[in-house]
Amino acid sequence: MSETILKLDNVTKVYPNGTVANRDINMEFEKGEIHSIVGENGAGKSTLMKVIFGIERPSSGSVTYKGEETNFSSSMDAIKAGIGMVHQHFMLIPSFSIVDNIILGDEPTSGIFIDKKEAARRCQELSDKYNFELDVNAKVSTLSVAKRQKVEILKTLYRNAELIILDEPTSVLTPQETDKLFDQLRSFKEQGHTILFISHKLEEVKKISDKISVIRNGVSKGTYLNEDLSMQQLTNLIIGRDLDSDMNAYKTHEDFHNEKALVIKDLYMERNGKPVLDHMSFAVKNGEILGIAGVEGNGQQELVRCITGLEETAYTGDIEICGNRVNELNIKGRRDLGMAYIPEDRMGDGIAGSLPISDNLISTYYDRDDINNKVFMNSKAIKETAENLVKTFAVKTKTIDAAVNSLSGGNIQKVVVAREYNTNSKFMIAEQPTHGIDIGSEEFVHHKLIEMRNAGAGILLVSANLNEVMSLSDRIIVMFDGQIAGYFPNAKDVSESELGMYMLGAKHQTPQEIGGALND
Amino acid sequence: MTDNKNSKYSKNYKLSISNPKLFDAIKMTIAILIALAITFVILCLISKDPVNAIKTILFGPLSKKRYIGAVIESFISFAFAGLAAGVLFKAGGFNLGAEGIFIITGAVVAWIAASPITTSPILHPVLCYLGAMLVGGILMILPSFLKAKFGTNEMVVSLMSNSIYAAITAYIVRNWISTAQRGSVSSKDYLPTARIGYLYEPLRISACFILLIVVTIVLYLVMNKTKLGYQMRIAGTNPKFAEYSGVSAFRLSITTAVIAGVLCGMGSTTQLLTQTSYYTPAQSLVGIGFSGMLLSMLGKNNPIGIVIAAFFIKYLEQGAAVLYFVDGAVPSEIVSIVEGIVIMLISSQYFLRRLRERQLLKEGLEEHAE
Amino acid sequence: MQNSIFSTLFSMRFLITAIRLATPIVFAAIGTFIAASSGIGNIAIESIMTFAALAGVLGSYLSGSAWVGVLTGIAIGIVTVMLIAFFSMKMGANAMLIMIALNTFADSVAIFVMFLMTGEKGTTASLTTPILSTLDIPIIKDIPILGEIVSGQYVLTYICWLIVILLFIFIYKTPTGMRMRACGLNADAARTAGINVERLQVLSLILSGIFAALGGVYLSLNYLKIFSRGMVSGQGWMGVAANGIAAGNYWLLILAALIFAVFRAVSISFSSNSAFPTDLVNAIPYFAVFVILTVVSIVNYYRVKRGKVEEH
Repeated sequence: MSETILKLDNVTKVYPNGTVANRDINMEFEKGEIHSIVGENGAGKSTLMKVIFGIERPSSGSVTYKGEETNFSSSMDAIKAGIGMVHQHFMLIPSFSIVDNIILGDEPTSGIFIDKKEAARRCQELSDKYNFELDVNAKVSTLSVAKRQKVEILKTLYRNAELIILDEPTSVLTPQETDKLFDQLRSFKEQGHTILFISHKLEEVKKISDKISVIRNGVSKGTYLNEDLSMQQLTNLIIGRDLDSDMNAYKTHEDFHNEKALVIKDLYMERNGKPVLDHMSFAVKNGEILGIAGVEGNGQQELVRCITGLEETAYTGDIEICGNRVNELNIKGRRDLGMAYIPEDRMGDGIAGSLPISDNLISTYYDRDDINNKVFMNSKAIKETAENLVKTFAVKTKTIDAAVNSLSGGNIQKVVVAREYNTNSKFMIAEQPTHGIDIGSEEFVHHKLIEMRNAGAGILLVSANLNEVMSLSDRIIVMFDGQIAGYFPNAKDVSESELGMYMLGAKHQTPQEIGGALND
Repeated sequence: MTDNKNSKYSKNYKLSISNPKLFDAIKMTIAILIALAITFVILCLISKDPVNAIKTILFGPLSKKRYIGAVIESFISFAFAGLAAGVLFKAGGFNLGAEGIFIITGAVVAWIAASPITTSPILHPVLCYLGAMLVGGILMILPSFLKAKFGTNEMVVSLMSNSIYAAITAYIVRNWISTAQRGSVSSKDYLPTARIGYLYEPLRISACFILLIVVTIVLYLVMNKTKLGYQMRIAGTNPKFAEYSGVSAFRLSITTAVIAGVLCGMGSTTQLLTQTSYYTPAQSLVGIGFSGMLLSMLGKNNPIGIVIAAFFIKYLEQGAAVLYFVDGAVPSEIVSIVEGIVIMLISSQYFLRRLRERQLLKEGLEEHAE
Repeated sequence: MQNSIFSTLFSMRFLITAIRLATPIVFAAIGTFIAASSGIGNIAIESIMTFAALAGVLGSYLSGSAWVGVLTGIAIGIVTVMLIAFFSMKMGANAMLIMIALNTFADSVAIFVMFLMTGEKGTTASLTTPILSTLDIPIIKDIPILGEIVSGQYVLTYICWLIVILLFIFIYKTPTGMRMRACGLNADAARTAGINVERLQVLSLILSGIFAALGGVYLSLNYLKIFSRGMVSGQGWMGVAANGIAAGNYWLLILAALIFAVFRAVSISFSSNSAFPTDLVNAIPYFAVFVILTVVSIVNYYRVKRGKVEEH
């Protein structure tokens, strides 16, 4: 008989703003299994994990761990009980060493001081035991994403976690790195650890799980043995309807005479003496989506900041937007030439949270003639514009006067996309446009991007989500270490694992092949 | 009309706490009541007749026309200081330089007012205003410029500039425009043409009062109806969002600094030409710039709110002054305590939050039921 | 005149003055630093110093013991930071505004209390207050030059330098110190490591309040020996400025505070010299802070431009 390690009884979580994130969830987890929890973005997986890990308290219902009802007041209690969590966004301090990051909160001491030697010894031992191949004295800021994730896992092992929760651990990894991670997870399982694997990528879930639990809309749709469940059944359980996975069907193919929305020539920038953008050249044509794939931290953010004009560090090379050299222009000047931009950090850059939806829907063209009179802004026109956008983009709200941060993540993203859409731009940068939003909104955003593309806009899509890049793009660039590692003129002809090789730096095309990114 | 067509998205709030404006008003009222209650407790400790004391603070200014006149006359320059701070804070700036601008523009006013450049009793004060506004507008730029261009800590820099401007003012007044008549360092007497007279003497209403009303209305319109106001709003709420949207943080902070400096110049001129006959740098304008920041917090950066707050505070100060006259045990600084408590309470988001949440939850559930 | 500047700046008295003047600024600086290390920008240092300076005098007067005065000052410092913590953490107020308000009120509130106690609004000179003394260190005091500088300083000056060393050890060598820094660098990471971020932030604020309060009581019980209105005169802000310049580097913080103290000493030494305009000489320390802070930020601006940044 296997033994139950964690049990959820009628767990319900209602947030103060009235959002019901989990409703009457019942689940059981057995010791030594790899148990996946799947569901679309926004289905309530993360909230459920927070409840288990003591970050949130359930509004009603109970969590039983090792036969005792838990009453965690913070994650500290969960950690003490033997639960560890690897968060989707790493919880590391870059300026600390690996050792310091691992021992933080549970430091070995001698007297009143931290025993640094003992700490380093223990961490190295642990890293060696699980074949993590880390030099534990290195600073975290020098590590790759995959290595940072290892540090996160070591943190939980250092605290003797028996139950390890991994929240979307593969979202930042290449397919090859994912395989490695899975090998590691299996070895944890053999050593008696229980793994709780959160994901919305079904193939991975099928590959690694013993059992699968499905959440839809905050409600549990049951727990199944992996072998009892086909891919199709799983999909149906998760979304309850069929999805358009092939965006290509919506693409039209008009000729826009090879006009370029964006041209980048020999872009170079360095930081602390190291190149972060290493002589990149490429172009985005009107009427196409150019996808940039790559593991986070390979220069994508810097590239976007250079193109938008937000970069503070000096760079060399040429940037042309809609035929004009824009190196000397600030973001306003570039927007005026026809640039629109969906930013990655939607809460930080994309909205002013406490201001009304209407204010947030006009920020990037607030000075346009159609919403201004001679002296004052035309509040009637603003209202009409905002109401139309809210309607067209199906933003769920009672009123355009509501503060934008009272909306759900998906609806906030719709506000951002609606605003950028309404700039009628010829060039759009979409940076992680569907990160962390529900599948309905995701589909909506994808359709709008295709619509803009069909109307002749050039779109630069930067995304860590390979599926997104592959299903939307016409052409694909892979970035590795600030360079273009690979260029694929036909997005349909490339496989996920092929892209993965380039993302990892295992493969690198010749300059001639890469040159097509600019000249095709 | 179009209003009906779109009514789905422009729902009118019911008259309940979920209406943010009404909620703010309730919050403000309760905060004031709590502050007065605490003041009463303090008065019980230090005054022999606390009931009469609180009565005097609250209603004393109404007992004589000249009391209320004094309130009307003195609140104007404070209101200007509050408006200056409001403009800066609204756009997200932490330039605390108003104090220094008040003091140094005082020297400009004193110099022009004592110079026989015109004999017109209208032109002379106008020139004083223009001089102070010009100098104020220029000097206020420095901390905002350094912040916007180089990321210098504008709070510390502006506070240091306050001390530096005060020192320069003392130097200028002592060496260039002082008189030997008086003991402390102060300027020569203003010429009679520079002084501002009353339009309605019993309540001490002067042209400055009208100036304040006009400026307040203009500012209200600028902050709520124009592109500049929109820029201030989004930059004040989320500067990164403003930058992303293409609002030039640099231009915006320079613009708001100039407006604030000009307002400070108006304030210092008003104060000097209505309340003094010569300028004493260590005394005449000290503290007004700082009080402005508090007013701006009381008025939540809304020009009309700020002016009301300025009147309210000056009114209480007058009440406290009347009280000090009858009961020497209570110093007039007690008003600061009222002011402090109100500011702390109204800037607390969670103050009375439960009340509002309960209402919102109820409405949310009702809607869910639909 | 050049000669007199030279002799003033290199005299023993100047050095001793600078050390005396450094004490409150160093207290203010470490007070800002400890709060900042856990992620809290404590800009209320100036007001805490004011409150504590007055409380120190009153406590000393009422109890008849200067040390009770010191404790009273510390208690008021703690009360003030707890007020900030309460409103910003429990009531959701903007901490920055609360602290700006506190600074703006500090003088009025101090005058209010002083008036109730003494009937005067200027100074507490009318109260006979026991004060702290200077300390002669045996043996060292007999060494020429070194003895003159190191021995015979105020008691709180020695305490100040002792704290400077202990605080360094605390922040960089103990578990609590490391956790505090973690809170400042990435609060979420600290939280998920099971650290109670809010509690550590409150602890760092309390330490911050204690240090600022010591700076305040130093002024009223050691250095000037009375409380007078406006006596803190920007020394708290110099601590805040030093912290801004240090950018997380502890010894740079101390150095910056010392430099500001030297400029205060310059200002005081020259203000008695009629060859200089007193009004302007008084502003030397403020001008120094202004210039140094500006130059540092300009240098940083061009460093970022040249691509020299650290990931925190």
